Amino acid sequence: MMARTTTAIAVACLLAALAGCRPKGSMEARDPLRNAFDTVADASDAAKLVPLTYQQAQGKRIFETYCVWCHADATPAGPSNRSNVTPMPAVITDGTALNGLSDEYMQTIITLGGSALGKSAMMPPYGETLKEDDIRAVMAYARAVAQPPYEPAARPKPQIPVK
Amino acid sequence: MPAEEMGKISRKMRVAFAVSSMIFVAALAISPVKDLRLEWKQNKRAYVRFAQTRPDTKRLLADFRPGIDQIWLPELGVVDRCTTCHQGMAQPTLPDAGVPQPFRTHPPIPHRVGDWGCTVCHRGQGAATEIAEAHETTLAWEQPMLPMKYIQASCGSCHRNALAEAPKLNRGRELLAEFNCASCHKLQGITRAAMPGPDLANIGNKVSREWIYKWLKEPRTVVDADGTVKVNGYETEESPRMPQFRLNEKELVALSGFLSVQRSRSIAPYKIDPRVIARWDKQPDVADQGETRFRQMFCSTCHSLAVTRAGETKLIGGEIGPELTKVGSKVNPDWLLAWLRNPQAYLPHSQMPRYEWTDEDLYKVSRYMLTKLTDSDLLSGVPKFEAASAEEVETGKRMFIEKGCASCHAVEGVPPQQDLGPDLTALGGKNISELDFGQSKIPRTLPGYIQAKLADPTTVNPAARMPQYHMAAADREAVTTALLSMTGPPATSAREKLVVSSRTAPEFHAPGAFGRVYERYKCAVCHQFNGFGGTLAPDLSYEGSRAQKPWMIDFLKNPQTLRPTLILRMPQFNMSDQEATILADYLSLSLQSPAVDPQGAGAKQYTPQMAALGKQLYEVKYQCQSCHTIGSAGGYVGPNLNNAGNWLKPEWIEAWLKNPQALVPDTIQPRFNFTPEEISALTAYLGTLRQSGKAAPAHASIKVAAVRGAGK
Repeated sequence: MMARTTTAIAVACLLAALAGCRPKGSMEARDPLRNAFDTVADASDAAKLVPLTYQQAQGKRIFETYCVWCHADATPAGPSNRSNVTPMPAVITDGTALNGLSDEYMQTIITLGGSALGKSAMMPPYGETLKEDDIRAVMAYARAVAQPPYEPAARPKPQIPVK
Repeated sequence: MPAEEMGKISRKMRVAFAVSSMIFVAALAISPVKDLRLEWKQNKRAYVRFAQTRPDTKRLLADFRPGIDQIWLPELGVVDRCTTCHQGMAQPTLPDAGVPQPFRTHPPIPHRVGDWGCTVCHRGQGAATEIAEAHETTLAWEQPMLPMKYIQASCGSCHRNALAEAPKLNRGRELLAEFNCASCHKLQGITRAAMPGPDLANIGNKVSREWIYKWLKEPRTVVDADGTVKVNGYETEESPRMPQFRLNEKELVALSGFLSVQRSRSIAPYKIDPRVIARWDKQPDVADQGETRFRQMFCSTCHSLAVTRAGETKLIGGEIGPELTKVGSKVNPDWLLAWLRNPQAYLPHSQMPRYEWTDEDLYKVSRYMLTKLTDSDLLSGVPKFEAASAEEVETGKRMFIEKGCASCHAVEGVPPQQDLGPDLTALGGKNISELDFGQSKIPRTLPGYIQAKLADPTTVNPAARMPQYHMAAADREAVTTALLSMTGPPATSAREKLVVSSRTAPEFHAPGAFGRVYERYKCAVCHQFNGFGGTLAPDLSYEGSRAQKPWMIDFLKNPQTLRPTLILRMPQFNMSDQEATILADYLSLSLQSPAVDPQGAGAKQYTPQMAALGKQLYEVKYQCQSCHTIGSAGGYVGPNLNNAGNWLKPEWIEAWLKNPQALVPDTIQPRFNFTPEEISALTAYLGTLRQSGKAAPAHASIKVAAVRGAGK
């Protein structure tokens, strides 16, 4: 009887001591766009916003400066130049056309232009105009907005070292 | 105690001894158990377990140390132990959402975490090793982590210049400038406009007291809770100009009375030639003809009008000048004529160009504005006023000063005000204890405080003088981000060295004849000159290297846009030959690019063979038609090249094809790897492109025999 009481007391002490280790407050409620540097409307549902990381947001900015004219149906100036280009280029959100292309392929065609890979010369080379990081950012943006969503075949390679 | 019992330990003692030893052992155990259960140690162990489930365990654990990790940067005052728990931050293989926090890879950013630490951007307590202490406000540390949606504020605390990479911060700073916040508040990196609102010294000559009353009660621009901006009831993208002040009836009457007597300079009414009036007065379509002239002169480049298309009414036109849909019910007709002829006589700082008018055009356009751009209901519900009494004027003047009107507007006899509101240059670094929340139910955080003040200035202080601004939630977030970036003077000299300030180009003014024409037509409102001026139209800093002088003169007299998708086009100023020549002379001689050698290509002979090769290159190898139009076929991303031979100088074309970004750094024309032969061929081909009907001027610099009779 006595031994049982002692054990109980000891356990209670231990528990009390441990209780002191619990975190004092819970973390602030999670922000739904916690990782969002910028957002873009989902291609299949305009009400839904896709959060973008810093790199993807830079891709969006570069895309909307250089690429949007032929690779989207609406442009900052209004009409799109897409229909003036033959064959018609893929829009940026077209996952069916772009998901199958490897990162290396996309990077090459943006850097050297369509003619370098036996495709239309209407796609000019951007390797002398954009930096390598800019081109990677545009690719990251294309992957982020693809419909159907892009699923990498393998784990992505390191893009910008953080440490 | 009996002797036989001495030395014997009673059962009671035994139990007491057992209990006390157990308590002692338990107490001894507390410390190691507590130590074992430290949050950061738990995370360390969890990371090892997690790494073992990944295919690249070896690499994930290569740098693993069981102790506390920290980034120590004495110059920046950084001691950040965040990497103790956030162990996968630099691992490239853990970016996906499936990886549990705190192990996820840091998303790619342009700075290396090791060089900057964490708290420089994220705030919080870097040296803490407990989750709550590191992230939240505690008794010992008031600066909590910055919520991720405001993270761009941290970019802005060093990058005080416009930063395209941080769109939310940029938008917030733009809004702070657009709303003229700097008129009343000191802000970091945003300077006070010289003249934030219109000069009202002569307003009594322009509009009626009833109109002023209506405007003060309901400004023309109204923004609803969703941030939808409506001007005169029509939806627009335009940013609101004047905010809504909380004024009662007495204040409205007094202020409108005071303003209606502001007549500092009398207007000399302009008399249109009576013969012109006699000729046009009887014409039933005079207002329609006025509308046609209004369109032809491209007034809409700066002013918007409500247009109904397919049952939907919206404002179409530019935002430089005010919207004009109901201007006919607003202004005094004498004032309108005087204004159109010489805007600067009424408002010296006006951006409106002084057009060259014929009496006929002036009559037609003013008839159009005064009879068609009207709304008979505009002043319904406004009481009819007598002339303002001396008492009303006196009260109005007091109101004008008390409400802070003089922070934005000038009237005679009232000194300009500055810094009416609190200094906000260090708002973004304030601790919660420094903020006055009053009795409000605002969340006790700095972003919460700023958001609440922006949404409704009276939430904290019911007597606040700040007017009501209406913004969409996203815009409010952007403005909050920009305010959070204003953290005052940097804490250490090392941080001070990091600050990138914005540089504004000096104002561009030229002496002599060019200067007079340039000021008259306000070229810098839309065009840039050596970094100064507007961004609506092309940068003209190097126009002299680009365009041929005869083309410039033609263009100035009859501007035809080169980019067919543009809605806003260069207005037709009706300038004289002499003025056009003065402008073209100056542009040709003085505004040249050092990257273009005027002698370089001028002497070159372009042969028909070269032009033929150039055509091949243009159409087949490089397929320039994807962006440029020649004839009627091609794209419209780049300018139309139909008249390139008359328009562009060959030396410019050569330099441009070699490296477009060297001439216009932000052009979207990609740089190709053309060979020198290809550049010459393309230049020769473009030189042959001349608009039919326009004979090439005799001194045009490109001479290609092929165009005008190859056989000769």
